[in-house]
Amino acid sequence: MKGSEESYRNMYTCMKKIREFETTAMNRFADGKIPGFVHLYIGEEAVATGVCENLRNDDFITSTHRGHGHIIAKGGDVKFMMAELFGKATGYCKGKGGSMHIADASKGILGANGIVGAGHNIAVGAGLSIKLRKTDQVCICFFGDASTNQGTFHEGLNMASIWKLPVVFVCENNYYGISMSQARHQAIKDIADRAVSYGIPGVAVDGNDVTATYEASREAIARARKGLGPTLIECKTYRHRGHFEGDPGTYKPTEEQKAWLEKDPIPRFREFLKKNGIMTEDDLAKIDNSVAEAIKDAVRFADESPEPDVSSVVIDVYSDITEEVRVR
Amino acid sequence: MSSMTYMEAIREGMSIRMRKDDKVILFGEDVGAFGGCFGVTAGMFAEFGEERVRDTPISEGAIMGCAVGAAATGLRPLAELMFIDFMTVGMDQLVNQAAKMRYMFGGRISMPLVVRVPAGGGVGAAAQHSQSLEAWATHVPGLKVVYPSTPRDALGLMLSSIDDDNPVVYVEHKAMYGIKEDVSDLSPIPLGKGDIKRVGGDVTVIATGKMVHESLAAAQTLAGEGINCEVLDPRSLYPLDTELIKESLSKTHKVVIATEETKRGSYAGEIAAIIAEDYFDMLDAPIVRIGALNCPVPFSPCLEQVMLPNAQDVVNAVKRIV
Amino acid sequence: MASIGIIANPASGKDIRRLVSYATVIDNNEKVNIVKRIVLAAQGYGIDEIYIMPDSFMMGGKVIDELLAEGVLRSDCRIVDMPIRADSSDSTEAARAMNQLGVGCVVILGGDGTSRAVAKSIGDVPIIPLSTGTNNVYPSMFEGTVAGAAAAITALSPEPRLTCIHDKRIEAYIDGKLSDIALVDAVVSTEISVGARAIWKTSSIRSIIVTRAHPASIGFSAVVGSLEIVKPEDDFGYSVDIGGEDVMVKASIAAGIVERLNLSLARKLELGRRYRQEIDRNCTIALDGEREMQITSGEAVELCVSRNGPWRVDIRKTLEKAHAEGFFRVTTR
Repeated sequence: MKGSEESYRNMYTCMKKIREFETTAMNRFADGKIPGFVHLYIGEEAVATGVCENLRNDDFITSTHRGHGHIIAKGGDVKFMMAELFGKATGYCKGKGGSMHIADASKGILGANGIVGAGHNIAVGAGLSIKLRKTDQVCICFFGDASTNQGTFHEGLNMASIWKLPVVFVCENNYYGISMSQARHQAIKDIADRAVSYGIPGVAVDGNDVTATYEASREAIARARKGLGPTLIECKTYRHRGHFEGDPGTYKPTEEQKAWLEKDPIPRFREFLKKNGIMTEDDLAKIDNSVAEAIKDAVRFADESPEPDVSSVVIDVYSDITEEVRVR
Repeated sequence: MSSMTYMEAIREGMSIRMRKDDKVILFGEDVGAFGGCFGVTAGMFAEFGEERVRDTPISEGAIMGCAVGAAATGLRPLAELMFIDFMTVGMDQLVNQAAKMRYMFGGRISMPLVVRVPAGGGVGAAAQHSQSLEAWATHVPGLKVVYPSTPRDALGLMLSSIDDDNPVVYVEHKAMYGIKEDVSDLSPIPLGKGDIKRVGGDVTVIATGKMVHESLAAAQTLAGEGINCEVLDPRSLYPLDTELIKESLSKTHKVVIATEETKRGSYAGEIAAIIAEDYFDMLDAPIVRIGALNCPVPFSPCLEQVMLPNAQDVVNAVKRIV
Repeated sequence: MASIGIIANPASGKDIRRLVSYATVIDNNEKVNIVKRIVLAAQGYGIDEIYIMPDSFMMGGKVIDELLAEGVLRSDCRIVDMPIRADSSDSTEAARAMNQLGVGCVVILGGDGTSRAVAKSIGDVPIIPLSTGTNNVYPSMFEGTVAGAAAAITALSPEPRLTCIHDKRIEAYIDGKLSDIALVDAVVSTEISVGARAIWKTSSIRSIIVTRAHPASIGFSAVVGSLEIVKPEDDFGYSVDIGGEDVMVKASIAAGIVERLNLSLARKLELGRRYRQEIDRNCTIALDGEREMQITSGEAVELCVSRNGPWRVDIRKTLEKAHAEGFFRVTTR
């Protein structure tokens, strides 16, 4: 297929960029550079990457607390992301959001989200907006396995289905809701099964194979753009780290972790690219280096950026009202 | 002269903007051909069609969330929650999403949505369909809250709420839908501008919603006894017209605050606190608050009457400090 | 003591064909129900021991717990002791284990892919493949209770293979070594990645090789079947190339999808003979509908149709024979 080689290159670069960003965030968090909570996407890169490769700049995504990967894949700028993680004035949210609230409306990124399950209905709203504005945009709603136990999942999929909205619900089934394994938190194994209840297609794919997430989402997105309504895609994947940095993940059996590490999406895709002569070791190393440089630049940018001016604390609560900072 | 009920004024406010701007849409439970649970949206389905006047399933979380997503992506949605009591079910989307997105995202997103929440008791609807929960919304930075008490205010505030780029909680009292007045002025009323509903020099009665009418009735009674009440309706709870409050207090030096909320933790308490903090020197008497009893709204009319505040409560309160 | 095995694939019935065609959806809780019906029927017809494959949805555990709680489990029902990898190798390993345990029959719940995984290691133990997959060719739609009865009769029979069909299979050889097998079809596709596994774009298909072909099926065997009927008992396979000008057919290439295709070089394949595939670029070979093998240009690929497939129980024939022998008569003394 024409163009797919370019897509392969893009996808390798994207996965590598996410991995490098996350590994760096992990280290800087350990150094105490990053305050608050950081939820890393390491191991799940193939999902955001494969899906977003099919998107245009004007398409929308809603993301989660584990959102860095989605934002990078949708074209977010790693400099502004890193600066935000560092709580700097130059960050995406001017230091007011942090890791869990990065958004960029100019790229259709409707925000990472600290509330599990909040994205489902925001995506429905974006879908309604697309439908009423009569464009062929789509909205991708990324969410995890555990969020499908929230009522919002049911409400959102139901509404998207009855209104035939151009929303693709992409479930990253990483088998854990914080520490609770999927077998303990829900009575089904395949979240794709839930699609039946809403009369929409539900498919499960290998979420650690970027060619699989790419293909499945390509079909679902094409369907959505044509006005055929929403799809639920379940991507089976695994987070290598704990729920957040600082969680040692002792609830994950060693054997299980080992098996999933063998299925790491990045080395797998690297092998595929080499085996098929799409890229040589040299090409790949070049990408690896340039990605590493870009993340280093991002850290430098973040490090050198100023802290937010404390007077900005009350700015942007409203578009038109800024209360005084009162003496307490 | 054009006479409108409170309900018609809300409808006309929405319709004026919907005629002008395709991006303004309305959705909620049974707002379509059915015309809304109270009839507020009657006729709008016929005028604007099923795409823009949209029935939703009974899914308050999805209604609020959908409003957030639509507002973030270029529409100006009007969402109706059938009762303010159902705000609980959509609370995450209102409080954690709508209210905070602009701030969390560093000002990079706009959230022009209005959520209409019919509130208040007096109609025998009991504990889960009669509350006055506006203080929950005023507590949250990022939300604006309006509460019109007359048809003219209902129309003017609706226009401004739709025009606003921030999420606005539009509280309407379901027992006032039938009140009528001339509404020939179809201009917007800016948020944050209160209104003196009756001029007087002896005591300021700050009242919201249906308590504005109870306070006006009380003022009438008190006038017969030589006490002149000034009745001040803030109309917007946030932003609050503190200048108007200050102005009135500088004349009367006494204040009664009357709202239909359960008294504990009410927005009346917030207004009282602002006055105590900022205008204490103007006061010649303690601040008095009138509110509902601290119990759920009961069903039986005789119980409900005792639970909810009324004009006589205002008369009694004024007499305590004048 | 007579025993049977049950292999229920928790992953069948959710692949991308729900999106690109109109394929059947069967959720795992329904599979649990079907397994219960098999267990109850098998024990009702005289089976004492039942082995169930372990899986990540713990279907076997659910079946045992729930039937015990209802007080209706009389047979010795066990989960095969083996590690779970949560992929198709579980079915292959479970089949191997059941063969070694000496079960008399194995009931399979899944699609063509699941039967294929079982066929790799089941040896000559008769199988009953039930369709809970994607509108399949190999497994059939039969009520679980009936399948349980047929499994019991087969396991109790001194000559179980009398009412079985010894199926063909396709053997794929890479550089002379047996690499993989298929039960129904092998398709050479110009897609280079396995991607979402299924093949739904006919434009990427180069050639199709089948063990059986019939217009009453769907998928690639239906494509060939629109040209030539090849029955399981026929001692030959069949092959066509896609493209060329020889003939155009209409075929049901997927659930609810009918397409026109140009076919050329249609030919019968002798059993046991290896046919060299001309592979001049990287490609994939789909086995029973799913891209499985990634082939690099230059690798010597040979495909061969043989009679080395599994022994598949003919359910109707098995029950009819049992009926004729008085199996269903309860004699009172």
